[in-house]
Amino acid sequence: MANSVNISIEAPIENQIQEITYDGQEIYQAPLSMSENLARLAQKIDFSKSEDEYCNIKKEGESSSDPKPDDDSKDAGYQSNQWPWESVRNKLRNALTEVCVLADVLNIAKEKRYMVLDPVQPEQADNRPMVQVYGRKKALGAAAAVLLAGVERLRASETMRVSRNMPDFHIDLLRLRQNWRLKKVSNTIVGDLSYRTAGSKFSQTGVFEVTKAPEEQMMAAMSMNAAGPAPSALRVTVPPELQGVAFISVLCQKEQEDVVTATLSSSALNCPGTLPGDGAELHWQQKLEAAQNVLFCKELFARLAAEAVQLDASIPHMVVGNQIMATVLPGIQLLIGLCHNNGQNNTNNGPEGVKPEGAAGKSDHDHVLEHSLHQLLRAVHHANTHYPFPHPATGPLGPSKRRCLAGPMAADRYELLEMSKEQSLLEQIIQQAQHFFMRRRSEYVLDTIAKEVKDPLIVSHWNALNSPTQSCVKINIMAYGYDVVCRTSLVVHVGEKTLKCICRDGKVRHLSYELQELRDLIYCQIYQHQMTAVQAVGRCMGWQLLASSAHLGSGPVEPLGNASSCLLASPNGDRMIAIRCEPSVGIQVFIAQSPRKDFFSSELVQDKKWENLGGAFKEIKLDKMEGKNFLNKMELLMACLSSPS
Amino acid sequence: MHRNLPQNKEALLKSYTTRLKEDVKSMLENFEEIIRLAKGERGENESQLNRMTQIEQDTFEMQVRAANIVRAGESLMKLVSDIKQYLILNDFPSVNDAITQNSKLFRTKQQECDQKLMSLRDDIAADLYDLEDEYFTSIYK
Repeated sequence: MANSVNISIEAPIENQIQEITYDGQEIYQAPLSMSENLARLAQKIDFSKSEDEYCNIKKEGESSSDPKPDDDSKDAGYQSNQWPWESVRNKLRNALTEVCVLADVLNIAKEKRYMVLDPVQPEQADNRPMVQVYGRKKALGAAAAVLLAGVERLRASETMRVSRNMPDFHIDLLRLRQNWRLKKVSNTIVGDLSYRTAGSKFSQTGVFEVTKAPEEQMMAAMSMNAAGPAPSALRVTVPPELQGVAFISVLCQKEQEDVVTATLSSSALNCPGTLPGDGAELHWQQKLEAAQNVLFCKELFARLAAEAVQLDASIPHMVVGNQIMATVLPGIQLLIGLCHNNGQNNTNNGPEGVKPEGAAGKSDHDHVLEHSLHQLLRAVHHANTHYPFPHPATGPLGPSKRRCLAGPMAADRYELLEMSKEQSLLEQIIQQAQHFFMRRRSEYVLDTIAKEVKDPLIVSHWNALNSPTQSCVKINIMAYGYDVVCRTSLVVHVGEKTLKCICRDGKVRHLSYELQELRDLIYCQIYQHQMTAVQAVGRCMGWQLLASSAHLGSGPVEPLGNASSCLLASPNGDRMIAIRCEPSVGIQVFIAQSPRKDFFSSELVQDKKWENLGGAFKEIKLDKMEGKNFLNKMELLMACLSSPS
Repeated sequence: MHRNLPQNKEALLKSYTTRLKEDVKSMLENFEEIIRLAKGERGENESQLNRMTQIEQDTFEMQVRAANIVRAGESLMKLVSDIKQYLILNDFPSVNDAITQNSKLFRTKQQECDQKLMSLRDDIAADLYDLEDEYFTSIYK
C-alpha cells in the first residue's frame, strides 16, 4: 500500500531511569537480580506487626513476586556474607523466648501449686484533675447561684418594704390588737367585735377574720393615692350580716297622717348611710367600727322589739318587719325602725314602701331620741357588768343595792315587788318621747299666749338644767314699766304626761297633757296679775284698798275661772275706782266721786249731807284713754283723780 | 416561762424552739455536705458509677442542698413572723397597758368634752335668758 504509514512501537520502560543526560539520553538502572529483589522485600517485613498484617504483607509478597520461603532460606544460607536475615532470626528467637515464658506462666497459673496469681492494682490513672475540677466548679457555681437567688429574694422583699414605705403587717396587727380582741384559731386570726365584754347579752356573734392584704393590692392602692395615708397591710373580713351601715331611726308622727305610708323617709336613710369612700377599701378601724355599730343597732332593735311584744300597753305596740310602732300620746305615734344598708346590693333592709316624703317635713329622724336609745342600751350594758358591792367574787350576779338595803330597812312585800319592777327601754324611750311632745306643746302654748296678750308681758324662761323626762319653765307676767311694782311668776314643770304648775301663791296645780288647761291657767293668772298689779299701783299712789275679791259671786257665770274685782279710794277719800275683771270679757273700770255732783234733795233724802256718799259708778272707756298699757292708764287715772279739783 | 401556760401554748412554744433548731441544723448540715462534696472526700473508686455521671450527681446534690439552705432560711423568716404574731396576740400585759392608756385617754377626752359642753351650756343658758327677756318684751313676736 503506497499510502501506508510506518508505526513505530516501543516497549515500555522496564527499568527505572537513573539519569537523564543533557542531550536527552536516558541512562537506565540495571535491573535487580532475583536474589537482590528477595532480600529487599524480606527487609521490609515488620515482625512487630500483627499476624494478619503480616499475612497481608506475605500475600502481597506472594502475589507481587512469587518467592518461595524455602528458596529464601536456601538463598539466605547462600548469601550469608551480607546476613540479611539477621533481624529475622533475632526476632524469631525473641518470640520463642517469650512463648516459652508464657507457657511457663500459664503452667504455673494453671497448676496453682507453687504460686497464686493476684490481680495487681493497675497504676492510678492520674487523669482526674481537670475534668473533675471543672465539674466541681460548675456544681459549686450552681449551688451558689441557688443560694444567691434565695438571698436576693429575701433582701428584695425586705428592701422593698423599707424603701417604699410599705406598711408592716405586724405593726398593723399590733395596733389592731390594742384596740380589738383577737385570738388565733389554728391558722387564722379571729377577732370579736361584739359588746359581750361590755355587758351585752345579745346572742349574735361579732366574729371577724384578719388576713394579710395581698401585696399587689397594696401596691395598687399605694400607686393610686401616693399622697394619701398608706394603705393597711391588714384586711379584716366581717360577716355579711354586719357589713354596711345601720342606724336606728326614730320618728314621731301624728296619727292623722297616713300610717301605712308613714315610713322612714329616704332622706333619713341616706344621711348617714354612706361612709366616705364606700366602694373603696376602708381602713380596718372604720370598717370594724361600722360593723360594731351595726351589731349594736341590731341588739338595740331586737331588745326593743322583744319589749314591744311583751309589754301590755293600753294601745298595743306593733312590730312590723323592721319597725316598731308605739303610741306616745293620743294621736301621736313613735316609729322606731332599724335601717341597715349593707353596701353590697344597695338595697336597704328597711321597711318596704320607702317614699320620698317631702311633705312630712316634721317627721324627720329624731337624732336626740336615737341618741337616747343608744344611751339607754349602754346603761343596760354597764349595769350588766357593774354590780354594786358587795357581791360574791365568783358569781357575776348580785343583789342590787336597794335589795341589799331591803333587809336592814325591813321592806315589806309591796316594796320588794316595786323593786323588782324594771323599766324597759321601750317604756323609757316612750316616756322621753312623751316629754318631748309635752315640752314642744307647752312651748307652743306659751309663745302663742305671749303673742296674743300684749298688755301684760308674758316672759317665759326655759331652764337649762333638765333631764330627758323633765324640764322646767319659769313664767313671768309683768307690765312694761311696772315690773318692779308687780310681777307674777309661776313655774311649770313639764313631765312626761302631766304638767305641774306652781303658782305665785304657792298653790300647786297638776294639769293633764291637754294643753287647753295650761292655756286657761295662764289666762287666769294674767287677770289675777292685773288685779294685784292695780292694787300695787294704787298703794304706790297712796290710794286705799277698800275691798277686793278674787272670786266674785255676781254677774254672769264665767266659762273659766271667776270674775274678780277691787275697790280703791283716793287718798282724801272723795273718789273711788272700781275694777272688775272677767276673763271672758276683760277689764272694766268704774269711777265714782263724792260729794256727788248730781245730788238733788228728794223727798226721801232731803239732807245735804248725803251728797258725801259716793255717787253712781260710771264706766271708763279704757281704750280711749292715754297710756301704754292698763297699769299706765290706771296710774294716769289715779293721778288725775287724786289731784284737787 | 414560769407562768402556767396552757398545755397547747406550751407545746406551741416548744414547737417554735424545735423549728428553730431544726432549721439551723439543716442549714449547717447542708452546708457541710456541700463542702464535703466540693472536697471530693467521697472516694470515687467505691462508686460503681462512671465519672461523668458522678460529677452530674454531685452537681445536682449540691443544688438541692443549696435549695435546702434557702428553704431553711425562709422557714426561719416564717418562724420569726410566727413568733411575732404569737407575741402580739398573746402579750396580755402590753394589751392591758394599751387598754388602760386608751381608757385614760378617752376619759380625759370625755372630761374635756363635758367641761366644754358645760361651759357652752352655761353661756348659752345665760344668753338664752337675755334673749328670751328681750324677745318677750319686744313688740315683734
